[in-house]
Amino acid sequence: MQSKLSDSELIDQALAGDQSAYADLVKRHQRFVFTLALRFARNREDAEEIAQDCFIKAYRSLDAFQRQSKFSTWLYSIVYTTAMTSLRKKRVETASIDDEHTFIQVESQNSSFDVNNAENKSRSFYLNEAIAQLMPDDAMIITLFYNGEQSLEEIGQTMGIEPGTVKVKLFRARQRLKEKLERNLKHEVKELI
Amino acid sequence: MNTAEEKLWNYIDDACTPAEREAIELQIAQDAAFAAKYRELLALNSEFAMMELDEPPMAFTYNVMESIRNEYAATPLKSAINKNIIKGIGLFFVLLISALLIFAFSQTHLGTGGANAASHFKFLLPNFGPLFTGPFMQVFCFLDIVMALYLFDNYLRKKRITKTDISVQSGGQTGKH
Repeated sequence: MQSKLSDSELIDQALAGDQSAYADLVKRHQRFVFTLALRFARNREDAEEIAQDCFIKAYRSLDAFQRQSKFSTWLYSIVYTTAMTSLRKKRVETASIDDEHTFIQVESQNSSFDVNNAENKSRSFYLNEAIAQLMPDDAMIITLFYNGEQSLEEIGQTMGIEPGTVKVKLFRARQRLKEKLERNLKHEVKELI
Repeated sequence: MNTAEEKLWNYIDDACTPAEREAIELQIAQDAAFAAKYRELLALNSEFAMMELDEPPMAFTYNVMESIRNEYAATPLKSAINKNIIKGIGLFFVLLISALLIFAFSQTHLGTGGANAASHFKFLLPNFGPLFTGPFMQVFCFLDIVMALYLFDNYLRKKRITKTDISVQSGGQTGKH
């Protein structure tokens, strides 16, 4: 059962040495942090590692959190920087991440296993699939805006950019997501026919 | 110049001025194509808002807290000990040494001088002899041995935890390559 205390109260308790209060904070934010990490990592194992790393980093610097923004905004900025660092490391090891087709290829390989169940796929499945095909920055903005219920200013703080730039990026990300969603749905319809 | 789609997204996000809002509402009412686009984007917006979050593994919180506990267990003893305790021990020794010095000087007769001065320098110490023999010494030695075994056991446990952590980390890294 999750604590009814606010983030700020739980932080106070965690700073006083109560680790169970921090565990409550982790429980409260883990789904969103994990989802954000997954937007960058593209596999659950790496996403789990990034998300875990973020919570440990946040615990280490909890006393440096000045509470000028929401705890979630501060935490998401840690997720963003950690995920970006992890992505840069992976770039050296694998094919270029900038190449959007790399993701499309990987995803279409995965989706080929589910062709037989195409009829059972829900609209949210296609949406998640389309998000997974987006560039990490686009997927991050969409997730922060819709799932994190963050304002343009808060997204700007998280990603270290101006709110005006966030607005433009959000617009482009939505357009790309719409295109990918439509393309995936067309592809599935062809498969069925 | 904003595209129609951009205008509509601003309208849906409530990110436009009242004048712009009024103009867009008027255009929706008058232009059928614009109204159709608005309905399409509104449906898309509702769909995006219903996106589901991914669920991390069951043991996620436990793993995070375990990592934190391990990290803080490995901090040097220096930072874990209360400084007041160290100060208290220091103060105890300072007082003990001062008391011994005062006692020693109070037993010294500096004014007499000469060859028989040493004979005046007598410490009237209590007789501690019986304390270091017999049952007292045995109990003392027994407690010392118990304490030493306890500390040695603690040391071995910590050493084993550190070794396990290192092997898990190196195992995880080799697994990825």
